[in-house]
Amino acid sequence: MAQGETYFKHSLKVNGYLCAGCTTCMRTCPTGAIRIRGGKAVIYDNKCVDCGECMKICPHKAIYIKQDDFQLIENYGYKVCLVPTTFIGQFEEKYKTKAIYSCLKKLGFTHIYEVEHGVEFMVDLYKEYMEEHPEIRTFISPYCPAVIRLIQVRFPSLVDNIIKLKSPLDLAARVILKKLMDAGARRESIGIFYVTPCAAKIASVKYPVSQQDTCIAGVINMDFLYNKVQLMLHDSDKDVKPINHALTSRDVMWPLAGGEASLFRGSNYAVDGLQNVISFLEKLEDEAIDAPGLIEMRICDQGCVGGVLTTNNRFVARKRLENRARLLDRLHRRNNTDAVSYDDSEFSEQIAEQMVIPEIKPRSLYKLDDNFAEAFKMAERMKKIEKALPGVNCSACGAPSCAALAEDIVRGDARIDTCIFINRHSQASEDAIRSIWGDRVRTKEINNEENKQ
Amino acid sequence: MHYTFDIERGNFTDAGQASSSVKRTLKQLGVDPANIKRTVVALFEAEINAVAHAYGGKIDVDIDGEKIVMVVADEGPGIPNLDLAMQEGWSTASAKVREMGYGAGMGLPNIKKNTDDLKIDTKVGVGTTVTMTVYLT
Repeated sequence: MAQGETYFKHSLKVNGYLCAGCTTCMRTCPTGAIRIRGGKAVIYDNKCVDCGECMKICPHKAIYIKQDDFQLIENYGYKVCLVPTTFIGQFEEKYKTKAIYSCLKKLGFTHIYEVEHGVEFMVDLYKEYMEEHPEIRTFISPYCPAVIRLIQVRFPSLVDNIIKLKSPLDLAARVILKKLMDAGARRESIGIFYVTPCAAKIASVKYPVSQQDTCIAGVINMDFLYNKVQLMLHDSDKDVKPINHALTSRDVMWPLAGGEASLFRGSNYAVDGLQNVISFLEKLEDEAIDAPGLIEMRICDQGCVGGVLTTNNRFVARKRLENRARLLDRLHRRNNTDAVSYDDSEFSEQIAEQMVIPEIKPRSLYKLDDNFAEAFKMAERMKKIEKALPGVNCSACGAPSCAALAEDIVRGDARIDTCIFINRHSQASEDAIRSIWGDRVRTKEINNEENKQ
Repeated sequence: MHYTFDIERGNFTDAGQASSSVKRTLKQLGVDPANIKRTVVALFEAEINAVAHAYGGKIDVDIDGEKIVMVVADEGPGIPNLDLAMQEGWSTASAKVREMGYGAGMGLPNIKKNTDDLKIDTKVGVGTTVTMTVYLT
């Protein structure tokens, strides 16, 4: 497929040895970013939104997320583990948070910091942003990076509805950096490592939409770290605390479906799950849904606990985090501590300014050509080809559907004779196909006409 | 390019297929998102009008280099007083239709707002043909 300039890069990769070319991922991909070439799945960069659905569904475990080498932490004096609360949700309740953190220390990290520490500060920034933009009726949360990319490629008319602010992850990284440097650490000696529950978060760190530095030295896959910690848990020393203040229940609930929307006034929607997000955006684009206020959107079912790199069942993980939130509520009540987890000295105006995303560009994957007349000709031809194809969506041509093949043909990336329905050389293959599909079999004139193109 | 769709009385569940299909084509053509939105909103309103009031009908959409022409033709009661129908908030929709969240009397005014040209031919007891044009440039 001719790609031109690559503006998205990804961490999702195909293992050529394991891939059987079975077409399962290709048929699942919500943006039609996968084709079969040379008998293997190929992911096309500009169409992929890092949702991870291909990896979830692959029956051969052939799709993986490239992570940084764990040894990388040894390059730094300050080895900071930036851990999302979703990680705690992966373990059985009998293992206390402190015990899990003590294992992280044993693995070599010198500092542990919880990502959600800055959530309530972000909420304040969101609110300010919404007040500063009265012309926008519906605001879409920028929290899930896969949602941002999905909107860029499939719903470009909605990019201006996305709140142009970075995520709590960016914020946390900057706050730790400042904290350690204020205490005398040199910038080069600080290595911040984020534990990711999904492919989209890695991509957002490595290739941020803002194209600005995220201050993060490396990304570690959550399932990888889970395995390491789980092995050590039985002999942990159980007394390690993170360097941030105790989270609030609202911080802990944030990554779960509904946790974000509940922090804003008004009746805000919380939409989770890939297909739900797509159908909601479709209606929003048509103005068939009127949604004043904030919309929380998460590609994964149940939010981040449904991420492709999680180990625990998403509902069990959710329950653990709900229990943790209740526990923290009790703790704060008993100690009479502040209802908000952040203090102003850490979260300065200067850091708030660094949270702004200057621009989110629309990257329509539908547009056939920049020139309208050319696009029009291509669309007409595509419609004609689509009519000629059987509509069975068998994927034998290496495209997810007949419509996708028609599009590939007009884009010059495929030929119509890759369709096994159209390209029947012998009477035997003609009869065999006809015995299965009957009248769906088309005449060869279309084939000849198309071959002249 | 030409598209045809059927309209079925009272089938709100499947309404909107015409506008989704047209939306996809306009995205392929790289039409300005604001014009796509206008087109889709107008077409959806017209389709819902026919679903709610008429006995059945047909949608024809033609896209050429400079404009989109959408014709929604129904067999139905017709509109007895077109001037009233063009006013915001005026509606003859049944209680059942209103229960489904439609019939707020915004249909025709909303179509007018979103199209560059609007023509309504209506005959009481026979039907209504709504012709909407959106210019792409």
